[in-house]
Amino acid sequence: MKEIIVAVAGQPNSGKSTIFNMLTGARQHAANYPGVTVEKRTGKYSYKGNTVTLVDLPGTYSLTSYSQEERIARDFLLHEKPAVVLDIVDAANLERNLYLTFQLAEMGTPLVIALNMMDVAENRGLKIDTFKLSELLRANVVATVGKKDKGGKELKEAILNTYKGGHFRMGYGDACESCGACPGISREKGQFRVDYGEKLEPILRPLEKMLSEDPKISARYPARWLAVKLVENDSEARKLIEVL
Amino acid sequence: MTLDEIKPGQECRIVDVNLDGATGQRLMDMGFMPGTKVKIIRNAPLVDPVDLLLRGYHVSIRHHEAKGVEVEQL
Repeated sequence: MKEIIVAVAGQPNSGKSTIFNMLTGARQHAANYPGVTVEKRTGKYSYKGNTVTLVDLPGTYSLTSYSQEERIARDFLLHEKPAVVLDIVDAANLERNLYLTFQLAEMGTPLVIALNMMDVAENRGLKIDTFKLSELLRANVVATVGKKDKGGKELKEAILNTYKGGHFRMGYGDACESCGACPGISREKGQFRVDYGEKLEPILRPLEKMLSEDPKISARYPARWLAVKLVENDSEARKLIEVL
Repeated sequence: MTLDEIKPGQECRIVDVNLDGATGQRLMDMGFMPGTKVKIIRNAPLVDPVDLLLRGYHVSIRHHEAKGVEVEQL
């Protein structure tokens, strides 16, 4: 039986460790202040005969190479190539959290999004259309309340479904046990892409094409992600291609 | 004018972020973008840091960091 490696990413204090503990049954350090997880931590669970290994990454606001946490998270995603990335999003701070989601999506690993702290968001009067979000981000979106153990089973199902390359499940609690029963979106519609507009796209597109045509680079790194990082003048990204 | 000149209770809109390197990147990561509305909540007792509200969440930054954020008062 193949082991499924899932990276747990998210912004600081979005509940990564709480969700990690909920899924693995671990009782490790989750405290109500940010920056508790600085090194990556792993745990396992079994679901429908599959062994899933979760790697809890440090919380980062983005994936540049300015801080150690960001480099740990980014290097793991780039070099260890997890099968799925579980992105924990603080639903009450959706706008700020989506910035990291976009960067994760750009790295090309299939995403599962946990809209965590959904109860806090609802108490603030926020209504989030998980259906629409799923469609726009081209990823499974599951509403969760980590603190109250809500949404764990749905997350496990979404992770397995994404790993198997199934269609996107829609929202929380739609009881999709067997794929095909829920109104999912087929993967044929393509991957999520940020449109950087008429000023940047004419620079990004040719660069992306050039990178994807280099066999050494394209075998290792997602071309779109690398093109964006090179335009940002990210020193670590430059080093990645200089050593090839 | 810059963000550090805005008084508690007042609101402004970000025009530009004139900070390089890690600080500029971090502020942009956290949503300090041109066009974003920011409300100044309060200063700490010893002036630094300053508590801000933007995009529905609170963040505290130092005054010298706020100085690098160009704003227009609303």
